[in-house]
Amino acid sequence: MVETGIPKLDDFLDGGIPKGKSLVYYIQPGVEGEIFGMQTIHSTLKSGGTAIFVVSSTIPDIVKGQFKEYGWDIDPYKDKLFFVDSYNPLIGAPSNEKYVVQKPDNINDFNKIILDIIKETPPGTIVFGSLSTIMDLCGEKETIEAVKTWNKMAMVHDHVMVYNFTAWPYSRETLELIQGDLFNAVISIGGIAERVIFGQYFGVLKSDWAEITKKSMLFRVLRPGGVKLFIPKILVTGPFDAGKSTFVHALSTRAISVDRLGTTIAMDHGHVDYKGFSADIFGTPGQERFDPIIKLLSGESMGVFLVVDSTNPADFVRAKHMLEITKSYGLPYVVVANKQDSSGALKPEEIRNQFNLPQDVPVVPVVAKDKIGVFEAFEILIDKITGGA
Amino acid sequence: MSDYTTGIIELDTAIGGIKKGSNIMLIGPPMSGKEAILNHILYYGAAKNENAVITVTTRESAANVLEWFQQNKLILPMSKIGIVDCVTKTLGGTAVENDNIKIASSPVDLTGIGVKISQFFEDFFMKKNIRKIQLHINSLSTILMYSNIQTVFRFLHVFTGRIKAAGAMGIYVIESGMHDEQAIATLKQLFDGMIEIKSENDKNLLRAVGLSSKPTPWFEYEIQGANVKILGVK
Repeated sequence: MVETGIPKLDDFLDGGIPKGKSLVYYIQPGVEGEIFGMQTIHSTLKSGGTAIFVVSSTIPDIVKGQFKEYGWDIDPYKDKLFFVDSYNPLIGAPSNEKYVVQKPDNINDFNKIILDIIKETPPGTIVFGSLSTIMDLCGEKETIEAVKTWNKMAMVHDHVMVYNFTAWPYSRETLELIQGDLFNAVISIGGIAERVIFGQYFGVLKSDWAEITKKSMLFRVLRPGGVKLFIPKILVTGPFDAGKSTFVHALSTRAISVDRLGTTIAMDHGHVDYKGFSADIFGTPGQERFDPIIKLLSGESMGVFLVVDSTNPADFVRAKHMLEITKSYGLPYVVVANKQDSSGALKPEEIRNQFNLPQDVPVVPVVAKDKIGVFEAFEILIDKITGGA
Repeated sequence: MSDYTTGIIELDTAIGGIKKGSNIMLIGPPMSGKEAILNHILYYGAAKNENAVITVTTRESAANVLEWFQQNKLILPMSKIGIVDCVTKTLGGTAVENDNIKIASSPVDLTGIGVKISQFFEDFFMKKNIRKIQLHINSLSTILMYSNIQTVFRFLHVFTGRIKAAGAMGIYVIESGMHDEQAIATLKQLFDGMIEIKSENDKNLLRAVGLSSKPTPWFEYEIQGANVKILGVK
């Protein structure tokens, strides 16, 4: 099994890509999808595997620089990572790589080199940086026939085959084959567009070894960092003095608060980067006169933390009211039972009873000032937003 | 006045401005001043019409593109400028991205170029709330040197569609005489009109076709520094 290295995708694929299988990253033009193949290479190397990268649309040295930009040091893997250079010959430049496709517009040249690699190198991960570029140069039908052979041979020799493919408007037949029978798994990488693309997501379109979860994950590409899952906005609300700002700051890698005399009057803003998830956190003020802000902020949120002071049951009525404001938008939520270290703090189950919360609403014990339980609460909410996958 | 203009007043008056969603081919022989005309449209679009302008440059580095404006003492509103540099990395230069410059790995890397264009669109449209965007590609001829016509056609098919969807304007520079006529005819299907340039008896002439009910007359022009000066109608 080779892990793709893409957060959540390996869970969707029951752990990764089994040996002998092929996977295509099917990328909508304009979406940052080619990094997926690179991240899979990095993941292979990190776990001690061998990787081959077929570079078609730029010189291998630039690709090596891109690995660095993503913060992935490939220098220790010199004897584990090999490049197939099919770009330099295209522009008439010499190549220093071990494998060079002398005529990148001739599929037979590709065939010979790829088949040699499949037969002669120990089982590893072979990643094509851009199958679409090969197709552009060698022809659609010719390339598809070659891919069929490569996948078949890879199965015999236990290699994992990974292809980046940009779905330009090729013939319908070609696109259907790529989405259909040509590969064991198809990962769709698309853009959320309304006049312009403003969000990117991936999801499993097909997999013949894992059950398909019909779920799309939003992502961003960070330099350094690579593909990170992205939750646009999470709301933190709760009564006055429950510890919302402390919670936002405890969770965030960077955060600011708009406050006066120590209490939040507009909002807290933070950014979390944790276990492959990236999220913007917005904290609301607790006082009733600022309630319109909660409505305003929760409209675009994807989930809510309701922070309560576990020692102050008197405020639970107010908390419930705030919860109702956000719940009316149908957002998933988690109750953060803060100040668990204070004397007289109610236990999570007691809070559940007082709130009369259904069993499926998580109540997480937290001491925000000491960062205890904050990341657990975050993980639980993310699970709820993504449907617990 | 329309959302989009060339800034060449006589030409704009003749065509009555350019409609949103238009894709225009700027075609002419080498050394006829296409670059200056494109820069003029860029400056006019960003500084006067307050549009965002995304330029894909395949021949000059982004630094060179910006230097031209400095040399000509034209101050660009940088928050409205985006350049996709397809040159610097190929030449082995150290290229650092910033708010104004994104680096594509080579002119062959149409996927990468497409990603950078989309990112600028998102920046301008969603983050900066600028709804009028111009996309200039300088030039398709260089891209065609590395990729075949079908490949470039597919790329343009996607991006001319996006220009329409976003209500933007696209301008694509092509060298005349460098490609066979069939290639030009194939690409023409994707465009709403063209700005045509020719040289005759040492005179530079330009006209617009397809942007108004009939072609404009040929205008004789001269490049004076950064200015495109119309000398008269042929």
